[in-house]
Amino acid sequence: MLKAYMILSILLFSIGIVGLISRRNIIVIYMSIELLLNAVNLSLIAISADLAESSAQVMSLIIIAIAASEAALFMSLFVVLFRNRASLDANLFNILGGKK
Amino acid sequence: MQNEILFTVLALIAIVSSIVMISAHRPIDSALSFIVTLISIAALFGLLNASFLFVVQIIIYAGAILSLILFIIMFLNIKDENLPDEKYKNRWLLATSVIVAPFSAILIDLILRSDIATNSVPSESFGGIKDVGLMLFSKWILPFELVSILLLVALVGAVTLSKRSE
Repeated sequence: MLKAYMILSILLFSIGIVGLISRRNIIVIYMSIELLLNAVNLSLIAISADLAESSAQVMSLIIIAIAASEAALFMSLFVVLFRNRASLDANLFNILGGKK
Repeated sequence: MQNEILFTVLALIAIVSSIVMISAHRPIDSALSFIVTLISIAALFGLLNASFLFVVQIIIYAGAILSLILFIIMFLNIKDENLPDEKYKNRWLLATSVIVAPFSAILIDLILRSDIATNSVPSESFGGIKDVGLMLFSKWILPFELVSILLLVALVGAVTLSKRSE
C-alpha cells in the first residue's frame, strides 16, 4: 500500500511542476506550489503510517505552518502586483530584469 | 479491501481535480477545484490513521488558506482583460508534460523496484493529537520555536508589503 501512496505523491508532484512551469497566471502558479507541498506531505504521512513513527507527522505539520506563512506573503504580493500592473500575468513582473 | 477501493477513488479525484486546477483559465475555477484536491488529500490522511493531520489539513488548508485565496480573487475584482492571454496554454501544458513525464516515470520505476514496505502495526493512539503533540514538544521543540519566528516574520512582511509607499 505504501508504494501506491508514493506513486500518487509522485504524480501529484509532477502535475504541480507542470503547472508551475507552463502557466503564466500567478494565482495558478501559487496553487501549483501548494500542490507540491501537499504531495510531499502525503508521502511523509504514508511513510510515517508504514513505519508507525510519528516524527514524519510533526514534519508535515511544520510544512503546513510554512505553507500558511507563504500564503500570507503571497496574498499581499498579489495585492501589490495587481495595484501596480492591473494584471495577473507573470511575464509583466520583470522590474528586476533590468531595462529591455 | 475496502481501503483499496477508497484509496483508488480518492486518488482519482485528487489527480483529476489537480489537472483541472492547472488547466483552468479563470483563477476562481482553479481555486475551487484545488479545494477538491485538498479535501481528498485530507481524506487520504484519514485513511492512513493520521487523524490529527486530517483535521489540520481541513482547517488550515481547505479552511484558512483556500478561503484567503478566494477572498483575494474576489477582492481584486479580476476581469477577463486582467488575465494573461495564454493563447498557447494547451501547447505549453503538453510540452511541459512531455518533459516532466520521463522524470516521474523514473521515480515510479524506482519505487516499484524498491523494497520499502515494512507494514509495522501502529499502536492504538498513533497519529492522534497526544502522539503528535508529545513528539512536537519533546524531540521537535527547536523547529517548533523556529516556525513561530517564521510566522512572525511572515506577518511583519505581509504588513510591510501591502502598505502603500508614499
